[in-house]
Amino acid sequence: MEFNFGLIAQSFPLLLAGAVVTIQITALSVGFGLLIGMFAGMGRISKLWFVRFISTVYVDFIRGTPLLVQIFLIYFALPMIVGTRINPFVAAITACSINSGAYIAEIFRAGIQSIDKGQMEAGRSLGMSWGQTMYYVILPQAFKRIIPPLGNEFIAMLKDSSLVSVIGFEELTRRGQLIIARTYGAFEIWMTVAVIYLVMTLTISRLVDYLERRYKIDDKH
Amino acid sequence: MISIKQVHKYFGKLHVLKGIDTEIKEKEVVVIIGPSGSGKSTLLRCINYLEQYSQGEIIVDGIPLTGEANINKIRTEVGMVFQRFNLFPHMTVLANIMLSPMKVRKITRIEAEKIAHDLLKKVGLSDKDNAYPEQLSGGQQQRVAIARALAMRPKVMLFDEPTSALDPEMINEVLDVMKTLANEGMTMVVVTHEMGFAREVGDRVIFMDEGRIIEEGTPTDFFTNAREERTKNFLSKIL
Repeated sequence: MEFNFGLIAQSFPLLLAGAVVTIQITALSVGFGLLIGMFAGMGRISKLWFVRFISTVYVDFIRGTPLLVQIFLIYFALPMIVGTRINPFVAAITACSINSGAYIAEIFRAGIQSIDKGQMEAGRSLGMSWGQTMYYVILPQAFKRIIPPLGNEFIAMLKDSSLVSVIGFEELTRRGQLIIARTYGAFEIWMTVAVIYLVMTLTISRLVDYLERRYKIDDKH
Repeated sequence: MISIKQVHKYFGKLHVLKGIDTEIKEKEVVVIIGPSGSGKSTLLRCINYLEQYSQGEIIVDGIPLTGEANINKIRTEVGMVFQRFNLFPHMTVLANIMLSPMKVRKITRIEAEKIAHDLLKKVGLSDKDNAYPEQLSGGQQQRVAIARALAMRPKVMLFDEPTSALDPEMINEVLDVMKTLANEGMTMVVVTHEMGFAREVGDRVIFMDEGRIIEEGTPTDFFTNAREERTKNFLSKIL
């Protein structure tokens, strides 16, 4: 077997464009996931049992089923209920956001619970509502503590987003498949795809390390 | 000002308050003392509903402690100072004091800043407005916590062992601020082990043990002519 460097050079721009799409799905999904996760995470420790119940069912269902199945559910099963096709991009983002939200919910729950109970008591005793105290006092402190696990979630999502290739959405992995179908260069292309993923994940983990160190230095501010 | 009627509190099976009855008048300084586990902090925390009581009734400034709306209203009228300060570590001293007046009383930033500066002056920490809590000593943090509570212009101040977490040399700076407040006519309920403060500033001393009020009276009476055996026993150990 001969290693075809020409093929790599030729396909590289296409793969890079795919990598950009991968980053887009990941960023959007983790972004929406943060919103969903923040509310679901607070819901998991709510005093209202039905809020706690709904949040727990959500987190358990998502964490207890494969992302691949969740993608199928949204892309193939949901249209049968709503009666229209869903575009692959919307399906991909929806599935990944809902998935990410469940993991981020647990990160938020742990972050919020790590803040001293006296902080909530101080806020409440000053007349602020639960929501106000959460927003101004608890969450800003929790955010700093959850940066490292959020970084891990971002990396996990970046890799898992390759699964949306099964619904034909052209991110990095799907681009690779398509190029191989044309050129039969499985070895060269999959190696290249793997290296591009690796470069992205390593970059993100270094970035998270940096943020973590920065916040450690001025811990409380 | 505060009326407490037949208040009971259970933590699971543990009966920590066994029928507390007392009235706290306007401008009165009431000091609650007693051994640890006697329920004194729990009682204090019931007054602004940080602890839910199981039975009985507490009325603060004519408002019964029932329903979320009433509870929030009472909390704006009742300031609380905690043993462990509970300042917000991610905010400057000034921001700590300004937060609640701006968010709850809806006053402007400029007004809030003025109030905060005035209060910092009052507790002797004008130069610390831009410091973060971790940069302050315990005594300074507690004085900021008092200023923060006062910024809401409360009618009553509750103090939950405000000097217990402090190094000995810092206790007086906090007690001095509390004395000033008392002299200005603030209604205060203070749980403390500082008997000197109780004697000097208190209008009334309440002695609690095992979830009950055992004895109450003026400081002079209380410290010299305790009637109950348990009170005498307690006093003999600490004085």
